[in-house]
Amino acid sequence: MKTHLLAALVGSTLSLYAAPGTAYEGDAQTGKLGKVSFPTLCDPKLQADFERTVAMLHSFWYVAAEKSFPEIAAKDPACAIAHWGYASILMNNPLAGTGATPAAAKKAQIAIDEARRIGAKTQRERDYIEATAAYYEDYANRPEKARQASRAKAYEALAARYPDDDEAQIFAALYIAGTQSQADQSFAAYLKAAAMLEPQFRKHPDHPGVAHYLIHSYDAPPIADKGLDAARRYASIAPAAPHALHMPSHIFTRVGAWDESAATNVRSAKVAKAGGEADETYHASDYAVYAYLQTARDAAALDLMTDTLKVTGVSSGRPTAFYAAAAMPARYAVERGDWKAAMQLQPVATSYAFTDAITHFARALGALRSGDVAAGDREAQVLAALHKKLVDAKNTYWATEVEVQRLAVSGWTEHAKGNAAEGLKFMRAAADLEDRNEKHIVTPARIVPARELLAEMLLEQKQPALALKEFEASQLREPNRFRNFAGSVQAAEMAGDRARAATYARKLVELAANGDGKRVELSRAKAMLTQR
Amino acid sequence: MRRLAIVLVAACVLGFPPGAHADPVETDPDLAKRDEDYAAGRKAVEAKDWAEAVARLRKAEIRNPESADLHNFLGYSYRNLRQFEPAFRHYKRAIEIDPRHRGAHEYIGEAYLMTGDLPSAEKHLKALREICLLPCEELADLEKAVAQYRKSGKR
Repeated sequence: MKTHLLAALVGSTLSLYAAPGTAYEGDAQTGKLGKVSFPTLCDPKLQADFERTVAMLHSFWYVAAEKSFPEIAAKDPACAIAHWGYASILMNNPLAGTGATPAAAKKAQIAIDEARRIGAKTQRERDYIEATAAYYEDYANRPEKARQASRAKAYEALAARYPDDDEAQIFAALYIAGTQSQADQSFAAYLKAAAMLEPQFRKHPDHPGVAHYLIHSYDAPPIADKGLDAARRYASIAPAAPHALHMPSHIFTRVGAWDESAATNVRSAKVAKAGGEADETYHASDYAVYAYLQTARDAAALDLMTDTLKVTGVSSGRPTAFYAAAAMPARYAVERGDWKAAMQLQPVATSYAFTDAITHFARALGALRSGDVAAGDREAQVLAALHKKLVDAKNTYWATEVEVQRLAVSGWTEHAKGNAAEGLKFMRAAADLEDRNEKHIVTPARIVPARELLAEMLLEQKQPALALKEFEASQLREPNRFRNFAGSVQAAEMAGDRARAATYARKLVELAANGDGKRVELSRAKAMLTQR
Repeated sequence: MRRLAIVLVAACVLGFPPGAHADPVETDPDLAKRDEDYAAGRKAVEAKDWAEAVARLRKAEIRNPESADLHNFLGYSYRNLRQFEPAFRHYKRAIEIDPRHRGAHEYIGEAYLMTGDLPSAEKHLKALREICLLPCEELADLEKAVAQYRKSGKR
């Protein structure tokens, strides 16, 4: 039974993860996962492996770490803390909110029991094991929020007991951040975590967890700019971990730092592709394509999208790659206002109604903005069927997102039919509903912000002052967008506000400084500035 | 344009072999996949085994107290057991968690009609009219139920 559970764990994880992940071993061996110091009394020969695996844990590189901790435990059967690592990994992304699955919780409890049976050689190691055990305690009878609270409390106590143990401070901060409620707009838990992490960042600039958790702790629109330093640092700390390369772009996207977002995501996609991690390749590419399109680097966007869509081997069990595969071509058409191309997007039926909806939404917009109401109606019917699927499946979040798309399509249908007021009624309802639903982490952004679409409709209805107001409201949540600035130039100009038009024209030209120069809006903006 | 066409075709032929992956970026919105009791409770609802549905859903509630769908199913199960007090409690909780929960608005409205409380049913009909700017089944069903109630002369 003793040798036993571990051997079984090693066997099962090796067989599960035999194919991908190993491509990074070379980089990992040279310390490209950042610097972690976590002293243990396990076999000294395994100390470097252990610290490298803790570094993987800090970069949420679960595929690799889930294999590595059991290997360490198998090589040193007296290394109880390796079981702590394994149980900690199985808690899953502590910031995603869903926590360990019941199956993972069973495996984790076995690991914790084994760690207790072995008996760690120091009180500190025993305390780490018990801190993670607090999360799993009475798992079947507690909600995830209660588990998160227990974990945060236990790690906070650990950090207080060992004030000189920086790993304890860092893990405590992570798990405190994991208790942040979306309803708390003061972001108290995030800011408490950040306050613990900032001094650690000065002390350990190359630690993968500190920079990573700082980014997460500032991953909310009103505080995102505070995370820029950590975002810029993190990718260079752990370039072997695809998530480390991609994660900074959550901050870059929030603040509209497109060049940095594109650069780090292109690297992330490259590393993920080399490692056979197809889902991550798609995910990072979608973020990069989005960033390229905001700076009018259309050729770069098209190249990356073309290359990515050739990548096979995606996981059918998660929507990540399917979302990106639908989103990239839709973005490429819609962001450039190429409505004919949007109409021609080819739908691909998948098992994810909300990713399928992306293509139909873009096709509908393309049709309606080209004046083809009949084609728009057909797409609206498909969207209604997809929406019903999501409602029936009780997938509330994505049902709401598709409802926003349906409302927008209804708005543009009415607008195309000449029913201006009805069009605005639907479009305003879409924008208000979207504002109440936070963007999902699977995407850098919706295909187009609903409030921006409302502004464009107002512009078409010759209400430039109201249009400008909506464009500017949209900028608060979606800063530095090309279509927004282009629309703002036009709205300000139509409203007779030449100074504001020039300000937005300058912003647009700056935004697209490295662009292809083929967008009409850009040429107009340049011409406007030259005439002044 | 030709390159875009190639991309669009490539999107159509994307290969999807299955893979095993820990998940750093996704959340699973489907509670039924994560909670055995919730899944069993939903099955019991489908089988109209209301007592079993209540038993399993209440177990799931311990772990998932903030699931509007779970409270809606509990309300529905209690309603079918004609235990209106807990039915109303769970419907109200569902709406508190998700004020736009169409199913809960419809079912609580119908439950009010079953207890002869037309004004309360109409409040939820009004809420559904605001939520369902696009036509929705829940609104149509509650409108029909209210109309039938009135026709029956119970008001």
